[in-house]
Amino acid sequence: MGRVFVEQFKEFLGKIAGFLPNLLTSLVLFFAGLLIAWLIKSVIVRLAAFLKMDAVSERTGIVQVLQKGGIKEPVSMLAGRLIYWVVLISFIIMGLNALQMPAVENLFGTFLLYLPNVIMAGAIIVSGYLLGNFLGRAVLIGAVNAGLAVAGLLGKFVKFTVFIMAVTMSLELLGIGKETVIIAFAILFGGVVLSLSIAFGLGGKDAAKDYIDKILREKKEEDDIKHI
Amino acid sequence: MSVILREEVIQRLGEIGKADILVGIPSFNNADSIGHVVRAVQAGVAKYFPDKKAILINSDGGSGDGTREVVERVIIDDFQPLLISQRQNLLSKIVTPYHGIAGKGSAFRTVFQIAKELNVKACAVVDSDLRSITPEWIDLLIRPVLERDFDFVAPYYLRHKYDGTITNSIVYPVTRALYGRRIRQPIGGDFGFSGKLAEFYLTKDVWDTDVARFGIDIWMTTTAVTNNFKVCQSFLGAKIHSPKEPSSDLSAMLTQVVSALFNLMEEYPGQWTEVNSTSPVPLFGFQFSVGLEPVKVNTERMINMFKLGMTELGDLWKDILSAESLAGLQDTAKTEPFSFGDDLWARVIYDYALAWHGKVMKGEHILKTLTPLYLGKVASLVIEMADTTAGKVEQRIEALCIAFEKSKPYLIDKWE
Repeated sequence: MGRVFVEQFKEFLGKIAGFLPNLLTSLVLFFAGLLIAWLIKSVIVRLAAFLKMDAVSERTGIVQVLQKGGIKEPVSMLAGRLIYWVVLISFIIMGLNALQMPAVENLFGTFLLYLPNVIMAGAIIVSGYLLGNFLGRAVLIGAVNAGLAVAGLLGKFVKFTVFIMAVTMSLELLGIGKETVIIAFAILFGGVVLSLSIAFGLGGKDAAKDYIDKILREKKEEDDIKHI
Repeated sequence: MSVILREEVIQRLGEIGKADILVGIPSFNNADSIGHVVRAVQAGVAKYFPDKKAILINSDGGSGDGTREVVERVIIDDFQPLLISQRQNLLSKIVTPYHGIAGKGSAFRTVFQIAKELNVKACAVVDSDLRSITPEWIDLLIRPVLERDFDFVAPYYLRHKYDGTITNSIVYPVTRALYGRRIRQPIGGDFGFSGKLAEFYLTKDVWDTDVARFGIDIWMTTTAVTNNFKVCQSFLGAKIHSPKEPSSDLSAMLTQVVSALFNLMEEYPGQWTEVNSTSPVPLFGFQFSVGLEPVKVNTERMINMFKLGMTELGDLWKDILSAESLAGLQDTAKTEPFSFGDDLWARVIYDYALAWHGKVMKGEHILKTLTPLYLGKVASLVIEMADTTAGKVEQRIEALCIAFEKSKPYLIDKWE
């Protein structure tokens, strides 16, 4: 009985002894990751300052976009922080792999397979936000210059439509409620268009008549001024 | 020889050798109007420069309506009805498609190149859709160069008080305040210039930019002024064009002109920041004025556009205009009768120049948001000038120019 216990204990100690180097490697990788990530972050922040990344971002409108999204930090700091976490997470993954535990390996295998989709979905949402802002602004300015009283509404409609389309595409990419999201979007979009058509055609027929009359009247009253 | 000229043109230039005077006519589908312009040029050269060797260049953008054939065919056989003695030298003509991107600037580049090859003393360029050109225009554009050693002759037209509003409210005041010379029609379109200046224009690497398209007029004027060429103006009388497409878009036109103006500010900051006064530019020709026919202007629509802009573009203007300008615009919207002050307008235009310089958003978006403000200013000027004479209108424009000059230190301070 005592011998069985000793054998089991020896086997346990043997496993611990076998696991300790892996644990040690994992810990070393984690701390090395912390150090390297911090070093790379410092280099990136300095390089960004040298390349005047914050000034360029302000000129190209990136800062305004981030501020509208509630992010107040300078772009150089954000870039440094992003790189820091990418490097650190890479080292954590390497460290966990070094533990050679099947459950952990499976979990991270699945995570790594899913990661490109997450990155792509994020990129689509960010692009959709920027494109929506850009197109919404272009439509707003064009509509104001055409003298359309609904200019603001048109601009917002274009902006949000583009953004919602981007979100829909991202959710589809992530496999979240695939068909449901697309059907919901189609119903919502179609519903909005139909509602507007009915509202304008029936409820607002007098307003529509007045509006068309106004446009025709203004066409007749165009100026003879030569601007150039 | 330059690569921009076609083989047959180079051969023809070889035959001609040298010339004293060159008149260039850029064209694109102007068959219905260019014949009159060619006849006016021919009569002008025969009447005023009978002993000079002259050449007419039609630089065409690929017309499909027979424009080039009209230029080649049109000729004045009998000068007697025009009371012109038979000239000693016949006017040579070269009709050629131009090289490069489509636009008036590329057409002019070909004219400059031919002027250089023929070593001409004086050149003039006139639009191909002019209805009001007379032989005297050629004299007025060429003679200051030939006999008074001027390098650049800007046109001075007789215009209705409501015409040329972009020139009157933006281009003239800004150009004058920036570069210090009072050239009344900086984007007139019909110019005279020396062979030396034509050669100088060719040295500039701008032929793949907007200068090759629509920005050529303001570019020629500004380049002449900033590079210390001797400039003057000639009074040409009325400028009447063939009617344009009814759908010509004001916003696009305004964007094109103002972008050319702002791009030149980027090119010559060293010059304009040093200028702190303005000087008159000599004006040649016999000046006259005529009665003004009433012109239809819908100021209510313009004011409504301004107010629509105030409601919808406020967020964008926060990125373009200073807080003071924005507050001024809000006060302007409440004025009764509507009045848009000169000082505020000058600040607004300078804020736009600064926004363009600082690239606060896509350039086209910046300038297209200017349209409602411009219409507001035009409406204000029209209301103010409703009962004034041409002379008083000039005084009013003078006051506007002074507002731009007074606000210039603000622009210089913020530029860096």
